[in-house]
Amino acid sequence: MGRAGAAAAAVSLSRLTRVFGTQPAIVGVDLSVQRGSVVLLRGPNGAGKSTLLRVIATALAPTYGGGSVLGFDLVRERDQVRRRTELLGHHTRLYEDLTAVENLRFACALYGADVRVVAEALERVGLAEVGGERVTGFSHGMRQRLALARGLLRGPELLLLDEPYAGLDAAAKTMVDQVVLAARTAGHTVVLATHEPVREGLVTATVSMEAGRVLREPATVPEPVR
Amino acid sequence: MNGARLQHRSRVRGARRLGSWLLRVVQSRQRYTTGAVLAIAAKDLRIEARGRYAAGMAVPFAATLLIAFGLSLGPGRTLLEATAPGLLWLAVLFAATLLARRAWESEAEDGALEGLVLAPVDKSAVFAGKAIALSVQLLALEVAVLAMVAVLFGLPVAGNPPVLAAALVLGTVGLAGISSLFGVLAVMPRSREAVLPLLVMPLATPALIAGVKATALATAGRGGDAGAWLGLLAAFDLVLAAAGLLVFEQLVED
Repeated sequence: MGRAGAAAAAVSLSRLTRVFGTQPAIVGVDLSVQRGSVVLLRGPNGAGKSTLLRVIATALAPTYGGGSVLGFDLVRERDQVRRRTELLGHHTRLYEDLTAVENLRFACALYGADVRVVAEALERVGLAEVGGERVTGFSHGMRQRLALARGLLRGPELLLLDEPYAGLDAAAKTMVDQVVLAARTAGHTVVLATHEPVREGLVTATVSMEAGRVLREPATVPEPVR
Repeated sequence: MNGARLQHRSRVRGARRLGSWLLRVVQSRQRYTTGAVLAIAAKDLRIEARGRYAAGMAVPFAATLLIAFGLSLGPGRTLLEATAPGLLWLAVLFAATLLARRAWESEAEDGALEGLVLAPVDKSAVFAGKAIALSVQLLALEVAVLAMVAVLFGLPVAGNPPVLAAALVLGTVGLAGISSLFGVLAVMPRSREAVLPLLVMPLATPALIAGVKATALATAGRGGDAGAWLGLLAAFDLVLAAAGLLVFEQLVED
């Protein structure tokens, strides 16, 4: 595991600020997320939750401040962070003209994952029967599930979920919960941003954000899964 | 004598330094993943095969362009033949910007570009994959464009086929590279659509001139004189490939 294994915190941010033009999206965020925890990010629209998740995923660089993810520096070692992190955001990042299987195989090629896990990933999200169909005919919920399957291909140590329940039916929401629980059971870390109520016992800590600032630090000791 | 020897030694040292720098560049790209390059190229070609954008849009566009040029130049056979190599390459250049834009649009449709950026592969692999796919599409398109130019303008394509083929391949690689490199800017947040032709057209001028000259010589049966122009095309491709591999990451990373 090396350095990644040695680091106690999955995410450690110090005075992190991200500015778009002249508009600050997150300001002076200090945050520590312990390994194996499931942290819920709460806050109104525009609080900076999505920006924070994208900075942790290294999709955005911090304007000021910095931090580490799984023991790797957010800026200088972003490839190491990316190898171990999966961000499921507002966009599904799927190619409409490709089939579900082709989308996942392409992801395997980019991430160096074994293509033999594709069938299992589709099975887990209930899309095994439509694996050969093009994504262009998929509903929003099916696309979300396929994006979730892509996130499962390589078992990321840190899973970042931005509004994962949006537009999903009850069965698909339960599927998301199962993925989160499975990640936690495997000792992986999940940071989840949602406006919707979450299942009891799913999260181990809550972080509230408002106007780009973190209002409360998460609990440091994960609770056992019930 | 001594002066000449010193100049020679200086040139040798310069060449060694350049070679050493290139070696360091190659070594620094050890993460470069051939599998990712091929996967990106194959993915783009598969999307193109299903969407038929080149066949449905770029070929009719090139045909319209050639007919419009032909009509504006008038019925003089000599003038049409003389301008045919230039019109051929203009059609290919415009088609390259169209196809590059389409290729990058498919990355922007549902945030796929962010997926490529967040993938733990060298970003130059994305550039290389995109450029390879665009080169293949352009070469297929050129077969149709060449036939149109031969019929409409009487271009004697059988003059020196190997030199003509070399000019087309070398020029296509350069145009595909430059269009792929700057095509990403057209779909980046806060950028404008016009940025692609504004950057590509002027920077492609050396390849355009060399392509036209080599094509004119090949079709006139003087392919043996086209060596310098083919060399210029090859040099353009090498410089562009090196620039693309080095700077593409800066273009796509936040």
